[in-house]
Amino acid sequence: MINFKINGVPVEAQKGETILQVARRNDMYIPTMCYLAKATPNASCRMCIVEAQGVDGFVLSCNTPPTEGSEFKTDSDALYTERQNIMKLYNVNHPLQCGVCDKSGECDLQNKTLEFGVAEQTFATKDQKRKAKKWGVLSYDPGLCIMCEKCTAVCNEVVGSEALYIKPGGYKSVIDNHYSSCIQCGECISVCPVGAMASTDFKYKANAWELNKVPSACAHCSSACNLNYEVKDGSIYRVTNEDDYDSLCGAGRFGYDFENKVESKDSEAFAKVVAGFKDAKSIRFKSMITNEEAYLLQALKKEHGYNLINDEAKAFQEFLTAYSTSSGETLYSGDLDGVQKSDYAVTLGCSISNDNPMVRFALAQAVKRNKAYVGMMHPIEDSSIQNIVTQHFKHEVGSEEGLIAMLCNYFVNDEGKTLYKSFFDSLDSGYISGESSIGEEEFELLKTKMIRKKAPVIILGADLYSHPKAKNIAKMAGMLNRYSDFEVVMIPSDTNTLGVSLICDLDDEEISPTVGYNAEADITLSSLGNGTLDMPALNQQEGTFTTVNKEVVPLNAALSYNGYELSDIANELGVSCENVIDFTSELPKTKGFNGSEFDALQNYYTNSGEQVRGYKLKVKSKKPTKPSVDEISEIKEYNGSVVYSCNTISQFNLFTDKADQIIDKALLNGSQQFADVAKIHSGDDVTFTIDGKTFTRKFHLNNKLKGTIAFNPDFDSVQKSALYRYQQVKVERV
Amino acid sequence: MSKVYFSTWNGESINNIGKPEEEWEESAYNLPASYDDHRDSKAFIGWDGVSLFDEDVDVIRLAMEYAAQYQEYSEACGRCAPGRWGGRILYDQLDKIARGEGAIADLDHLKEIGKSMQVTSKCEIGKTVPNPILDLMTHFEAEFMECINEQKKSKHYDDEVGYIAKITAPCTDMCPAHVDIPGYIEGVRDLKFNESLEATRQTMPLAHVCGRVCPHPCEDACRRTNLDEPIAIMELKRLGADYETDHGFGFFHPMKKKKPTGKKVAVIGAGPAGLTTAYYLAAEGVEVDCYEALPVLGGEVTVGVPEYRMPWDKYAQDIECVRDMGVNFILNHKVSADEMREFETSYDATMIASGTRLSKAVRCDNEREEVQGYWGAIDFLDWVNLYEKFDIKTPKAIQEQQMLPADYVDLTGKTVACVGGGFTSMDVVRCSIRAGAKRVIMIYRRDEKTIIRNTTYEEYHEAVEEGVEFIFHSAVNTMNDEDDVLKSLLIDKFELVPDPNGGRAQLVKIEGASETIEVDYLIPAVSQSADFSHLPEEWELEMTSWASLKTNGKDYMTSRKGVFAAGDCEYGPMTIVNAVGQAKRAASVMSRYIETGEITLTDDEIMEDHLNKLKVYDKKEKVTGWLPGVPRERSEVLETEIRKHNNEEVNFGFTQDQAISEANRCMRCYYIAMVAT
Repeated sequence: MINFKINGVPVEAQKGETILQVARRNDMYIPTMCYLAKATPNASCRMCIVEAQGVDGFVLSCNTPPTEGSEFKTDSDALYTERQNIMKLYNVNHPLQCGVCDKSGECDLQNKTLEFGVAEQTFATKDQKRKAKKWGVLSYDPGLCIMCEKCTAVCNEVVGSEALYIKPGGYKSVIDNHYSSCIQCGECISVCPVGAMASTDFKYKANAWELNKVPSACAHCSSACNLNYEVKDGSIYRVTNEDDYDSLCGAGRFGYDFENKVESKDSEAFAKVVAGFKDAKSIRFKSMITNEEAYLLQALKKEHGYNLINDEAKAFQEFLTAYSTSSGETLYSGDLDGVQKSDYAVTLGCSISNDNPMVRFALAQAVKRNKAYVGMMHPIEDSSIQNIVTQHFKHEVGSEEGLIAMLCNYFVNDEGKTLYKSFFDSLDSGYISGESSIGEEEFELLKTKMIRKKAPVIILGADLYSHPKAKNIAKMAGMLNRYSDFEVVMIPSDTNTLGVSLICDLDDEEISPTVGYNAEADITLSSLGNGTLDMPALNQQEGTFTTVNKEVVPLNAALSYNGYELSDIANELGVSCENVIDFTSELPKTKGFNGSEFDALQNYYTNSGEQVRGYKLKVKSKKPTKPSVDEISEIKEYNGSVVYSCNTISQFNLFTDKADQIIDKALLNGSQQFADVAKIHSGDDVTFTIDGKTFTRKFHLNNKLKGTIAFNPDFDSVQKSALYRYQQVKVERV
Repeated sequence: MSKVYFSTWNGESINNIGKPEEEWEESAYNLPASYDDHRDSKAFIGWDGVSLFDEDVDVIRLAMEYAAQYQEYSEACGRCAPGRWGGRILYDQLDKIARGEGAIADLDHLKEIGKSMQVTSKCEIGKTVPNPILDLMTHFEAEFMECINEQKKSKHYDDEVGYIAKITAPCTDMCPAHVDIPGYIEGVRDLKFNESLEATRQTMPLAHVCGRVCPHPCEDACRRTNLDEPIAIMELKRLGADYETDHGFGFFHPMKKKKPTGKKVAVIGAGPAGLTTAYYLAAEGVEVDCYEALPVLGGEVTVGVPEYRMPWDKYAQDIECVRDMGVNFILNHKVSADEMREFETSYDATMIASGTRLSKAVRCDNEREEVQGYWGAIDFLDWVNLYEKFDIKTPKAIQEQQMLPADYVDLTGKTVACVGGGFTSMDVVRCSIRAGAKRVIMIYRRDEKTIIRNTTYEEYHEAVEEGVEFIFHSAVNTMNDEDDVLKSLLIDKFELVPDPNGGRAQLVKIEGASETIEVDYLIPAVSQSADFSHLPEEWELEMTSWASLKTNGKDYMTSRKGVFAAGDCEYGPMTIVNAVGQAKRAASVMSRYIETGEITLTDDEIMEDHLNKLKVYDKKEKVTGWLPGVPRERSEVLETEIRKHNNEEVNFGFTQDQAISEANRCMRCYYIAMVAT
């Protein structure tokens, strides 16, 4: 602890903290323009200068750690004059277009110009010609740019795509974009303090002060990131977030207009559906559902004996259960915060850039800030994240069971090795090496890299939950967690898969008739508006999600909904409630929920950037009794054409597809090798069948890909499949 | 010292305007009054002031052109608000005055923005560019006012004047290879390690090596020292290289390889000098054949520097980077004098980079090579490293001569004495510990302080921790052998006797204090000389008084046209970075020579030499605008008990936190200097 003073007030700094961070933590204001709390300081605006006792000149508070006994003053006439000069400089040649600029009303330049009383401009210089650019969802106007470097910092350090960069040239400096690396997440737009980096779509559509901010959680993946829907006249105009501390991906930021616009209640359809429910024996549903509605379905099951069918969630549920038998804990131990802070991460069964963007962001930050070692175990190499991944284990499809066995072999401690002696005795590393195509020296390297690392984490992805040996893999993960230093993070396969698997007793057998809620059935409830009865979409609902970080987070309705809701149906069927959020406090305590009322859920950030949102699930421990792990099975060979069920970065489901700004089409994405094996060419229309379902897709040749596995998106399927993500197929030209 | 008409350099105030030349007060500094052989300088303007060498200087245009430079360099960049706008405003306002459209308010604006830049800029460019401009405005106010009042152009506004600018930094200037240190540290600070590496590779391809085994003279010229402690510059260098290696990227070359020019160059030796020459010539599209006598590449850094200091797998990455640029390596090929003659026709130029690989004698009594246990340091280290790094066994002849129990250097139970005090001697003693020696002694003529100065603090203390005994103020008097097997040494003791007249203290032998120490091995590490048996005698290449190849130290051509020399064979045994720096300059000169037949230096190189003579670092400067007392980071090292039994790399290097903290301490001391001819 370092003791020092700011403005005469004694304060303390932890090792590594800067003067600015301590000041903010103590509610002391120091002006900044270029400071982005979630990245390393840019030191470009110079506004945060402070006076230090005994020092000539000013000290920059954003990047200077205090020394013991030092004293600082954050305000003085001299500081004010210099800050005012900097604001004058920022205003030189800045177009006076506040009347039409989208940033007006939330512009840091406006705010600080006012704060520092810049009433006249005494400096002038010749303006330089700099071209405006359009990069998909981003539009860059260099004339407005103050080169604060927040966009390049976020793109480099937080997102890790290193697309935006500074093109230096004195006064002519601009920001440019390696467009092919740009993942269109819009982080740069959110951090820009002025109107330079702006949303192409939002341009000229509304003024900041006209929009009503509705805080909610993103509905597209299990990160359920914190966001604000900004609403005017019954439409969502854009999404924003607390950019200083938090992040959003392209799906969250641009995939917001998926609401179900319904004129009024359709009583005929309602009656039909209620009758359907009375006849039905099963309810099939998608995991894009709030905890409360999942609870409602469970309550309906209790009341009427329905089989609850959600194959994807069931697979996850069984995986988690199997994991618990050997880890001794009801939930996995880690979260994405831990990943961000780790210095050693192994991923298994996870497509880092596509499955859950916050995993990619967390790993990017771990690499940049902690020089983390990242070992990615996946059959498909991803050149776009070469700067994040340190060692890629390109393994044979299906060999994940052998791989996690090898991890156990290398890292499980003596106690674990003794407890599972028969398993370890049966382990044939030579066989596993041969079958997985991962040489023993590659594993050795993995072990060597662990030296002096303090916070190892293993990230398990959706490739595993439906693996033929999923349960055994889960048990090994539990063993690894209990008997080594590894924290485990499981990436749920859909938005609220974790919530569903904790709240619902899911069944295996689907007995007709079935009612489907955002799932295929004869009678359906659809938030997309193409079912028997309309339902509100997730930007029209209140409720909570259970995130990948094991947090229960609140959603608020951005838009009103004029039709019937699930609670209306439930009321007809004997499960009564006034609002679905009545059930928030009923969520099962046995599964870790804490009984909070919905309205009591908090959502704010501290000055140190900590997010206080909802609450964390309680993880319960139970000493595992008679844990056992099966011997590794023979690894099946996947020859010929193999397709991998995986979406492009911003596409997750039919809702992101519905959104205007998410434009990726459902193409079969493969390499030249894949094309050769399947005897197809780029642009061909092809078909293939998986488990009775026929896909017709256009084939897109991607020269950055290698190998014989092609990407087959599933966002255009109504519900996520529970099949193993890799499938051998026969591809035929149409 | 230099003759000046007017100078404000480093706070001096010399005004010889109007005085007859005999009465001129001289400047205390080595200012570049003469630019090169055919051009004189009219003025020199830089971060610390301005000097005029001629009456007829357009001071307003000089100030304006200096401000213009700020827009030219990417280092000047625009990465802070006061710098980016301020620099542009300075230029525009000065041009406005210079072209006859100025107003008095412009002078006030210049002063105001100049002051803001000095106080709030991110780095030294922003802070120092206003300095000479404000000096000129103060001392030549009349000229400025004349142009303003009479709305006329400054005196040489439309004339052809040569303005040659160069960017530098105190650390860059001190570095023999003039590495862009603030640039690569900025790459670390920005967490853009590829950019960090590219900044290093502009002048030094061996980032893994110089990030580990450099005596870092740059740190002795680090301005941060004036405030608290120098930046750990060397430690920060390897981060970019580690990033490239760890993520399996191809090589981040800072330049695109040019198309083949059809020219060919022969390089003798694949050590740091040879590798550097090859890299930069290959980048220019020249075909390079690099001949190496040893079975392995890398020269003395491979066979001399031990694995625990410079892991081979990392140096190999540096070498692969050079090869990737398109260099042909020919191993196991000791070039003969006949071949050298033949190269004169088959190549467009030849670079001799063969190093200094003959150990010098200690010069004691009974010093004979036939005595078993007498082992020159270079040969000793060769066989230690060839085995540890490549499994190459020690030849039988040497095994027998040096009484080795196995086919590698195993010193279990033996006593080793090394005479020296430089890096080679440290390598010898620490390798001896690892080879299992029972007792390892370093016999050094001077004291502890001096040995630290000649090597590094870390090197010395790690050796002590590992159990090396240092015997100071001592020298070997006699080798005692029995039937040509070394048994003991007679060691003389010395004391430093101060000169009563105030001159240098002398080492004087203390009579009667000599002692005999039983040893099995005496390994002299008292400097090396070069093996020049491959040079054709009739060439009669000029040598220095210490038997190295003589060049003028600027273009590195020997006394024979088309034959160049760089590295230890030119300078005498010196550091890796020195070899790299010489070779980089030589490659540049050679690239032009093979096209034109002329020996020329670029303006950049001429300015580099001028600034080096002027000396960029000012240890007396008071640094403002930074909080003093922020400690320097120190990397962790492997525990003594573990490391002395193996060749694991001792220095772990910085953690990312340490690297970021240390990079944030760097004050980015870029300076711009400009000469008007």
